[in-house]
Amino acid sequence: MKTKKFMQFMMMVAVMMMVASPVAAHFGTIIPSDDIVTQDDDKTLKIEVKFLHPLEGHYMEMVKPKQFGVMHDGKKTDLLASLQAAKAKGPDQDKSFTFWQADFKIRRPGDYTFFVEPTPYWEPAEDCFIIHYTKVCVDALGLEEGWDAPVGLETEIIPMTRPYGLWTGNLFTGQVLLKGKPVPFAEVEVEYLNESPGNKSIVVPPSDPYVTQVVKADANGVFSYAMPRAGWWGFAALNEADWKIKHDGQDKGVEIGAVFWVHTIDMK
Amino acid sequence: MNIMKPMKYVLVVMAVVLLFGGTAMAHKVSLFAYAEGGKIYTESYFPDGKPVQGGKVMVYDSQDQLILEGVTDDEGLFSFDIPKIDDFNIVINATMGHKNSFKLKKSEVEAGK
Repeated sequence: MKTKKFMQFMMMVAVMMMVASPVAAHFGTIIPSDDIVTQDDDKTLKIEVKFLHPLEGHYMEMVKPKQFGVMHDGKKTDLLASLQAAKAKGPDQDKSFTFWQADFKIRRPGDYTFFVEPTPYWEPAEDCFIIHYTKVCVDALGLEEGWDAPVGLETEIIPMTRPYGLWTGNLFTGQVLLKGKPVPFAEVEVEYLNESPGNKSIVVPPSDPYVTQVVKADANGVFSYAMPRAGWWGFAALNEADWKIKHDGQDKGVEIGAVFWVHTIDMK
Repeated sequence: MNIMKPMKYVLVVMAVVLLFGGTAMAHKVSLFAYAEGGKIYTESYFPDGKPVQGGKVMVYDSQDQLILEGVTDDEGLFSFDIPKIDDFNIVINATMGHKNSFKLKKSEVEAGK
């Protein structure tokens, strides 16, 4: 009887894993080694740039981004040359994929918004290209200024919640911009990064809809989501570009995503 | 009749929160320092970027001896010639006793001499 129950359970797990896989959302990812740099911290950040399914930990091959930089005190600095290729794979992937990493030295107080514009990614399953304009903000040395400034990307999320120093359970509110204008009723996908440093146990979704949370923005393009776990959370607002990219001689649609990452810790 | 009592209480709590809750955050000060061209530059600011005006800056060496002091200007700035190559602990003391400090390493002073 016991073995039978166990077998049933294992079957359920297997089915769940099979069902859960294909629905995962793609997310451009930028994760810094620290999101609040204080005087006693290491001033050199390690930044990882990836393209993956955050909850399931599935990596996708990423070619060198088109643009990678940081905005601080209203000025943008190109950091593309500092990117170095590395390889990694998810727990149930059998081959490794390319991602990118860079070191960045914090020299002054204030907020540093890192941004990446990847090279268009061809997704045969969706018959379109994907470009996720991705941002993350790091605060340094007690000056909390700059986090709400737009970088000026094709599409981007402007945080309306200060995007660092967040507790688990906090509401994250942001505004979705496309060519600098709010996107009414934009659809925003939210995922937890299972490989977040310090994540106590891998989150296993009980069924598909748990993998990617979906919220819609209001008429001003403003959305909110309360984050139930400590670690990194990704917000991806997806839109269809009004331009095409050629694939094998044919014009194909382009999904452009505005992605923002924030970190939470438990209150204790 | 009794309805005023809880109202009064709420108002008092609100007043206290407004008085202290707001100021606790707003008065957290920071100082940032760097050495360049033979001088040490300090910048003192509140989290929202407002400069600390008329704040007292005290400079201690690695022996914890006070070697010089000064006052921040309207932009929260105070600078001085590098007195010696050493580790410094630079303290900002804003009004109402809100303090913070910044450690400027000897290697950074050396690089900026």
